[in-house]
Amino acid sequence: MTTNATSAPPTYMTAKGFCLTAGFWMTVATFMGLLGATELIAPDLTENIGWIVFGRVRPIHVNLVLFGFVTPGLLAAAFYYLPRILRTELFSEMLGVVTVVLWNLTLVGVVVTLAAGYTQGREYAEMIWPVDMGVVLIFSLVLVNFLMTVIRRKEPMLYVSVWYACAGIVLTAATFSLGNVIWRPDTGALVGIPDAILLWFYGHNVFGLLLTPLSAGVAYYVIPRACKAPLYSHTLSLLGFWSLLVVYTHIGTHHLLQVPVPTWLKVISIVDSVAMVIPVMAFLINIWYTAKGKLGEIHNDIGAKFVFTGTIMYFFVSIQGSIMALPQVQRITHFNNWVVAHAHVGVLGFAGMISLGGMYYILPRITNKPLFSRFLADFQYWMILIGVVGFTVVLTIAGLIQGNAWYNGETIYRVLPEIHMYYITRASIGLLIFSSAVLGLYNIIRTLYFNPGEKLS
Amino acid sequence: MKMTPVAVVVGSLLILGAIVFMVVYVPYATYDETPSEIFRERTAEEAAGRKLYIANGCVYCHSQSIRTIDWGMGAERIAQAGDYVQDQPILLGSQRTGVDLSQEGGEHPDDWHMAHFVNPRYTRPLSIMPAFAYLGDDLETLTRYVQGLGFKQADRRMARQRFWKKEAVAAYEKGVEANAEWLNVTIVPEGWRDIPNPYPTTEAGLARGRKIYQDFCIGCHGPVGDGMGPAQPWIYPPPYNFTILKNRKISGGILYYHLMNGITGTAMPYFKRELESQKIWEVGNFVAVYFINQSDANTAPRGIDSAWEP
Repeated sequence: MTTNATSAPPTYMTAKGFCLTAGFWMTVATFMGLLGATELIAPDLTENIGWIVFGRVRPIHVNLVLFGFVTPGLLAAAFYYLPRILRTELFSEMLGVVTVVLWNLTLVGVVVTLAAGYTQGREYAEMIWPVDMGVVLIFSLVLVNFLMTVIRRKEPMLYVSVWYACAGIVLTAATFSLGNVIWRPDTGALVGIPDAILLWFYGHNVFGLLLTPLSAGVAYYVIPRACKAPLYSHTLSLLGFWSLLVVYTHIGTHHLLQVPVPTWLKVISIVDSVAMVIPVMAFLINIWYTAKGKLGEIHNDIGAKFVFTGTIMYFFVSIQGSIMALPQVQRITHFNNWVVAHAHVGVLGFAGMISLGGMYYILPRITNKPLFSRFLADFQYWMILIGVVGFTVVLTIAGLIQGNAWYNGETIYRVLPEIHMYYITRASIGLLIFSSAVLGLYNIIRTLYFNPGEKLS
Repeated sequence: MKMTPVAVVVGSLLILGAIVFMVVYVPYATYDETPSEIFRERTAEEAAGRKLYIANGCVYCHSQSIRTIDWGMGAERIAQAGDYVQDQPILLGSQRTGVDLSQEGGEHPDDWHMAHFVNPRYTRPLSIMPAFAYLGDDLETLTRYVQGLGFKQADRRMARQRFWKKEAVAAYEKGVEANAEWLNVTIVPEGWRDIPNPYPTTEAGLARGRKIYQDFCIGCHGPVGDGMGPAQPWIYPPPYNFTILKNRKISGGILYYHLMNGITGTAMPYFKRELESQKIWEVGNFVAVYFINQSDANTAPRGIDSAWEP
């Protein structure tokens, strides 16, 4: 561990590594989504190719988006902003680079095992035990690097982004181990209804304790910096942080409202799903008031533009989530494409946008050169914005058709042709998103390695 | 409030611990493990089939969780906690791209499942399920799992399937005449045999009937109604050949009865959950006009003309 290199400028090797990781796996993850969407239109296109059957493509898509694209992108920004906020250097770039390498090996493990049919069959917790261990290890390594950097800080105050980054990693390491039942390597599961309760506690917290805190950390860093304005309120930061931890963690059972789980648990999950408005609005009011009157500054920085758009998506997805937790609403929305639309707004629209925004914000700063192409980044921004809105409209319509038809007594089979057109549109939008990922990867690589731009001062 | 590293890390872990205790541990510790009245242990083969179900990601499209508001497949029994006491992991599912499978056992005979797995569109032309022919011999194991879904209720349905399979095979092997007699007289209640198709044969009605036929029937009975659809090699007794039925007094009622109720023991499923009355009459009329070449549509005994009739 280099401790005496205080004079050398930081290399940002870890942040760069995570940018490449996120950019690369975004292309793979979105391709898997496109492939799955295509299989729903033309199921015999990939007939009898077992390792890309829909039931294996879907978990690969979901896990790669979560752990291959969004999380590494958010971590890239965190590895940049933590040392800066704390007025110190990253504890160890070497450890960071090792983490990046292990992270990518773990992701290869995810793809290979899931494609080969080695899965524990639990949504968001499919990975088999050895891969689980890889995930726990890489999160632990990130945690060591973060905490040691915090301990060696020269800035006495801890800014809100630091809370979110550290808590996100600590809590995810804990909930991931718990949710994947890592003390039972053979099945990775509990038995019966408690397994469902634990699974959705964990599944919901992948979003609540990993993507949301890391995204909030990036937003809290990028928006005030881009606006050159102080954060609107320290009190709101505190309220948002602690209420997120208290409220978000309660509500996983809202995935199980129509299942025989204890009624008191359902009541808690419904009430606190509505209470989610507190952490959500505390965060958003804080960010939005910081940016008040400074939207021009945000427009000027493509990274901030992505991040700010992500916060708007967060507003939409969170309010929608609170409404979806109401039992009367779920009678129509459960089990169909409405939920898929919701998931895409959350993971691509909110966390994905902020992940890309964080990367585009730091890339000029870690390379000391402008972005290879601001135009490409802007183009990607519009592709993703149009894509997310498109997914939302198309899949929500499909979900409403399904949900209302089923509620009216029509069978699943009868409704399939009614949503076929929407599946085609969804796959077309998937092609748009995949193309945007390819552009993004190209832009990241060119910015890092073959950047003709002038050195910034 | 002063945020220190200890406050952030230890504070969040303490909150998480308290919440895990409340919303995960307490439900776990107070969970009633009493099996429900339909519960039984899975056989070794069924358990092996369940592993295949997991490995191939069936859970992403098929729920196993019937709700109070459900119609359709499996809806005769609302899920209870006691149904899941041996499930590790539990496979409730979160999407219904395909049907709920909690009560799938015995809904169809084994040969239907085999044709369906080899290519789902052989038995269900509109299905978007992937073909699973690549599983080879494992398809038999997977079928055992699916046929056990519903436990004791599945066993009752399977016994019924096996009984009627024997009857159906015996009738088929006695030859065309005996089989036609068994199918169209013996197993059809008398009242149904006397009912002509009450819908008059119109061009529009036949067009609608053709659409239903293509969406539901063509995989087994084939495009010309001779029972040589793509599912035919997997199904025994084979899909029925309608073209031999001329002058055998096939009433609209007989066709309606079979479409509505299916022929248990054979691959012919019931369609009463999926098709409303008019759709069943009109696909029957399509079969009668195009494949049997003899329709009793709108013949006596009939009541007064319906207001919409042309």
